[in-house]
Amino acid sequence: MRMSTRKLLDRAFTWGACLAVGLMALFLVLVLAPILVRGAGAYVFRATTEYRRMMLDQFGRGDEAQIQAERAAVAEARRPLYEALDAFERSLPDLPAARRKELKPAFQEVREGLRLLLGPEPGEPLPALTRRLYGQTRWDRAQEKVRNVLCEETWDYSGEGEGVRVWVPRAPKFAGTALEPLFPLLERDLEGLLRPRLTFYPRFLTDKSLDIHFFGGIGAEVAGTVYLALGAMLIAVPLGIVAAVYFQEYAREGAVITLLRSCVNTLAGVPSVVFGLFGLAFFINTLHVSPGKSVLAGSLTLALLVLPTVIRASEEAIAAVPRAYKEAALALGAGQWRTILTVILPAALPGILTGTVISMGRAAGETAPIIFTAAVSYGALVRPSEVLSQATPALSWNLYNICTEHEAVDEIRHVQYGMAATLVLIVLTLNLTAILIRARVAKRLKG
Amino acid sequence: MMVMVAGALAGARTVCAQDKLALDGSTTVGPIAKAFAEYTMRQNQNVNITVSESGSGNGAKALLNGTCDIANLSRDLKESERQAMEQKGVKPVAHVVAYDGLPVIVHPSNRVKGLTLEQVRDIYTGKVTNWKQVGGADLPIVVISRDTNSGTFETFKELVLGKEAKICEGTEYTGSNGGVRQRVQMTKGAIGFAGLGFVDRSVKALEINGVAPSAETVVAKSYPISRELFMFTKGEPAPDGLVAAFIGLSRSEKGREIIEEIGFVPVPEKK
Amino acid sequence: MILTERERAQRKLLGLLGRGVLFAVTSVAALAVLAIIFFIARDAWPFFQQHGAGAFFLSKAWYPAHATPQFGAAAIIAGSLLVTATAVVLAVPPGIFAALCLSDVLPFGVRQVVKPVIEVLAAIPSVAYGFFALVVLAPLLQDKGGRLLAAAWCVLAVPVLSLAAVVAGDLLTPERLKGLAYRLVRGLLTALFLTAGGAVGVWGWRALTALQVPSGVNALNASVILGVMALPTIISVSEDALQAAGRELREGSYALGATRAETLFKVVVPASVSGMFSAVLLGVMRALGETMVVWMASGNAAQIPKPWFNLLQPVRTLTATIAGDMGEADQMTGSAHYHVLFAMGLSLLVFSFACNLAGERIVARQRKRLRGG
Repeated sequence: MRMSTRKLLDRAFTWGACLAVGLMALFLVLVLAPILVRGAGAYVFRATTEYRRMMLDQFGRGDEAQIQAERAAVAEARRPLYEALDAFERSLPDLPAARRKELKPAFQEVREGLRLLLGPEPGEPLPALTRRLYGQTRWDRAQEKVRNVLCEETWDYSGEGEGVRVWVPRAPKFAGTALEPLFPLLERDLEGLLRPRLTFYPRFLTDKSLDIHFFGGIGAEVAGTVYLALGAMLIAVPLGIVAAVYFQEYAREGAVITLLRSCVNTLAGVPSVVFGLFGLAFFINTLHVSPGKSVLAGSLTLALLVLPTVIRASEEAIAAVPRAYKEAALALGAGQWRTILTVILPAALPGILTGTVISMGRAAGETAPIIFTAAVSYGALVRPSEVLSQATPALSWNLYNICTEHEAVDEIRHVQYGMAATLVLIVLTLNLTAILIRARVAKRLKG
Repeated sequence: MMVMVAGALAGARTVCAQDKLALDGSTTVGPIAKAFAEYTMRQNQNVNITVSESGSGNGAKALLNGTCDIANLSRDLKESERQAMEQKGVKPVAHVVAYDGLPVIVHPSNRVKGLTLEQVRDIYTGKVTNWKQVGGADLPIVVISRDTNSGTFETFKELVLGKEAKICEGTEYTGSNGGVRQRVQMTKGAIGFAGLGFVDRSVKALEINGVAPSAETVVAKSYPISRELFMFTKGEPAPDGLVAAFIGLSRSEKGREIIEEIGFVPVPEKK
Repeated sequence: MILTERERAQRKLLGLLGRGVLFAVTSVAALAVLAIIFFIARDAWPFFQQHGAGAFFLSKAWYPAHATPQFGAAAIIAGSLLVTATAVVLAVPPGIFAALCLSDVLPFGVRQVVKPVIEVLAAIPSVAYGFFALVVLAPLLQDKGGRLLAAAWCVLAVPVLSLAAVVAGDLLTPERLKGLAYRLVRGLLTALFLTAGGAVGVWGWRALTALQVPSGVNALNASVILGVMALPTIISVSEDALQAAGRELREGSYALGATRAETLFKVVVPASVSGMFSAVLLGVMRALGETMVVWMASGNAAQIPKPWFNLLQPVRTLTATIAGDMGEADQMTGSAHYHVLFAMGLSLLVFSFACNLAGERIVARQRKRLRGG
C-alpha cells in the first residue's frame, strides 16, 4: 500500500474514532433531551384557573381571596357560554324533528367537550371522580381539548387506501341556532375563560397523586424509590465492606477464595429479572419476611443485586490504600483489627462511598427485581414505620405502569415524562456525586 | 389491668388490620379498584389501600396465599384454582362488580367499519393477513393481543377463537389493556382488543356482527364479546368490615357513577 | 508490649473468631448465588420432569394458554439470541472505535470529560430507556422508519465504500507502473470501484427508503436500545484492555514506521484481544439479561422472524416472557406455565454463568501469559 493511502486510512481512523465518541454523546443527548425537556413540563407549565381552584380545594394552597376573585371573573366570562347552552336546550323542542335529530347528539358532544375543558357546569351535581371536578388544569391540554369542541374529528374514507383525518368545524352545523355564538366566543377568548399563567410546581416531587395521577404529584413513588434504594444500601454496604476487607486483608489465594470470588462475579452476571424471581421464591414465599410484597423484601432483593458492585468498589478502594499506612500502623503495635478499623477503612472511605453512591443509583433505577417483590401500581405514601410490611409504588415500576396500563395514557403524558425525568435526575445526581467525590479524592492524592 | 391492656392491644390490632386493604389481580379491573381505593381513602383518611395489577392468575394466587384481601379477576376462577383453594380451606366468594365488553379496535384511519366474529377469528388465527381481504386498504394486518394468560385473553379466546383454534405466530403481545390501545392507536395496520373502559376516540371500535360495543349492547348481551368482572374474597366478608364496604361500593350510586365514568358498565340495578 | 500466655491465647482466639465471622459474612454473597440457582432450579425441575427438555428447546410452539398447552421455547430463545446478537453487532464496532479513541486519540483533558459521559450513559435506568423506546422511538420508526434507516445507511456507507474504493484502487494497481501510467491506471481503477460502490450505495438507499415498517415495536427497536445500553460496558472494559497493552508495544510499532491506525489495529488490538473479548461478553450479558427495554420495545410475538434476520418483525425474549407472564401464570396449582418460566430463568442463569466462566478463563489465561512472557 502506498504511503498516501496509509495516511488516508490513518486519518479516516482518527475521524471514525472521534465519530464513535461523538455518536455516544449523541445517543446520550437523544435519549435524555426529550425526557428532561418534556419532564420539566411537569414542574413548570402554564396553569389555568382550574389548576388554582384544584390546588385550593384539594391541597389548601394559594391565596383564597384572590382565587375566589379570579373565579368570579372567570365565571362572568363563561356566563355567555352557559347561557348559549341553556338557550339552545330550551329551543330544542321547537326545532323541526329532522333537524332536532341531527343536532341533539352534536349538542351533547359539545356539552361534554365543554365539561372536559372548563369543568362541570354551574349548578350541576358534582361528579364522583376527582378528574371530572375540574376543567383542564394545563394550558397545553386545554388547547387540544378546545379543538374537540370547535371541530368534529372525522375520517374520510372516500379516497383509495387508508382514511384521512378531517376536522370538521361544528359552527356551520349550528348556524342560526342559539348555540351559534358559543363557537366564536370559545375561539376568541379561551385565555379569558381559563386564564393561563406560567406556574412553577416544585411540589410535584412530593405531593400525593390525585385520582391516579390526573392531578397532584409523584410523592408516593419518590418515597418508595428512596426507601428501596436506602434499604438496599443499608443491607448491602455493611455486607460488601466486610466481604471486601476479607478478600483484601485476610484471604490467601486458594481454592475456597477462588470459588468465593467467582461466586461474586457470577452474582454480578445474574439477569435482574432472575433476582425478582428469586426474591419472590425466597424472601417472600420461603422466609416470609413479610406477608406479601414489601419494601423490606424489595430492598433485600436489590441489596443482593448491588452487592457485587459494592464489594468490587470497596476492594478497589482498600487496595488503593498505600501499604505504608498499614505497615506503619502494624509497626506501632496495632492489631490487624485495629489497623483495619482505624487506618485502612478511613483511608478507603471516599472510594467506598463512590461505589455506594453508584450502587444506590442502580438500585433506585432497577425495575425487574421489584415487580414481584415490592412494587404496587397504586398505593398511598408509605410511612417509615410501615416499611417492613407495606408494599409501595416506586418511580421505576410506576413509570412502566402509567405509560402502559393507565386507562388514560395520553391525558397524563406530562406525568409520565415528569416521572421519567425525576427518576433519571435522581440517578444522575447520585452518579455525578460519585464522580465529584472521586475527582476530589484524586486531587487530594495528587496534592 | 393486664386483661385490659391485652384487650386494648387486640382491639388496636384488629383496627390496624381493618385499616389496610390489599388488592391484587387483573389489569382490566385495575382502574375500578384504583378509583374505588382513591374514593375510599378520601372518605376515610386512616385507611391505606394498595392495588397491584399483576394479572388475574396472580390475583387468585395472592388470595390463596393471603397476600391480598380482594382478588380482582377479569374471568371466573378456573376449576384448578377453585380446587386448590378448597384444599387449603379457603372458600372463594365471587362478587360481580361490573360488566365489560371487549371491543375489537383498529386504527381510525382504517376504512373497515365492522367484521363478523368469523372474520376476527380468521385474522387472529392467521388465515387473513391483509386488510384488503376484509374490505380494507392494501395493508398488512398487525395482530395485537393481550398476554396469553390474562383474563382478557381467556375471554377473547373463549368467545371468539373457540377452544381448538391457535392464535397466529406473529401476534404481538402486550401486558395491559392500555398497552394494546396505545399500540393500535400508533399503528396503521393494527387490530387489537381491550376492555371497554380503555377504548376512546383515538382508536376505532369495530361493529361485530353488526353490533357496536357500548354500555347498552353489553348489558343487553347483544354485543357478542362481553363478560363479567369479579372481585373475589375469602369467604363472605364481614358485613360491617372494610372489605364489604369496598365491594358494596360497586352497587352504590357513587360507585356506579365511578364505574361508568371510567368506561365500564355498572351492574344493572335489581328491580 | 509483653503479653502473658493467656492474653496471647485470648487474642488469637478473638482473631480467629473475627476471621470466622468475616468469612461467614463474605460467604453470604456466595451462598446467595447458590441459593438463587437452587430456588430457580427447584421450580424449573417439575417442568423438565413433566414435559422434557426436548420440547422446551426444540419446539417453537408457544401456546401456554391453549386447552392442550404447548411450551416450546425455541422461538423465544431465538428471539433473545437475535436481539442480543444484533445489539452486540451494532454496539461492538462503535464501542471499540470509541475505546481506541479514548485510549489513543483524545488528549488527556478531553478524556477526563468523556469518561463521566460514558458513566452517565451506563447509569440511565433501563425503564427510562424503555420509555424512550416505546414513546419516542417506536412512533418514529413506524412513520419514518425507512428514511431513518436510509439516512443511517448513508452515514455509514458513503465513507466506508469510498475508503474501500480508494484502498482497492491502490492495492490493485501494479507496483511496477510509474509516473503518468501509474496515476492513470490507479485513477481509473479507483473511479471504477467508486462507481461500483456508488451503485451499491444507491441500491441500499432505494431499498431502505421503500421499506414499510408495519409496527414500531420490533426486534430492531429493542436491539438499538440494547446496543446503546451495552455500549458503555464495551467501551470501558475494552479501553482498560487497550491501556493494559502498554506503551512499549506502541512505541516499538511507531519506531518501525507504522501509522497510528496500523499500530492500533495490527499490534495493540491483537495484544489486547482477550480483554476486548471479555468486554463483548459483558455486553452480551447486559443485553441478554435486560428486561424492561425488551418488554416494552420488542413486541413480544413468540415467533422466529421470516426470514430469520428480518429485524422489523416483533420477537419475544426470555426476560420479557418471565416478567410478563409471571403475573398471569397460574402459580398456586403449580401449573406448567409457572414452572416453564422458571425453566426460562434457569436457562438465562446457565447462559450467563457460562459467559462468566468463559470471561474468567480468558482473563486468567491472559494474566498467565503476561506473567510468563
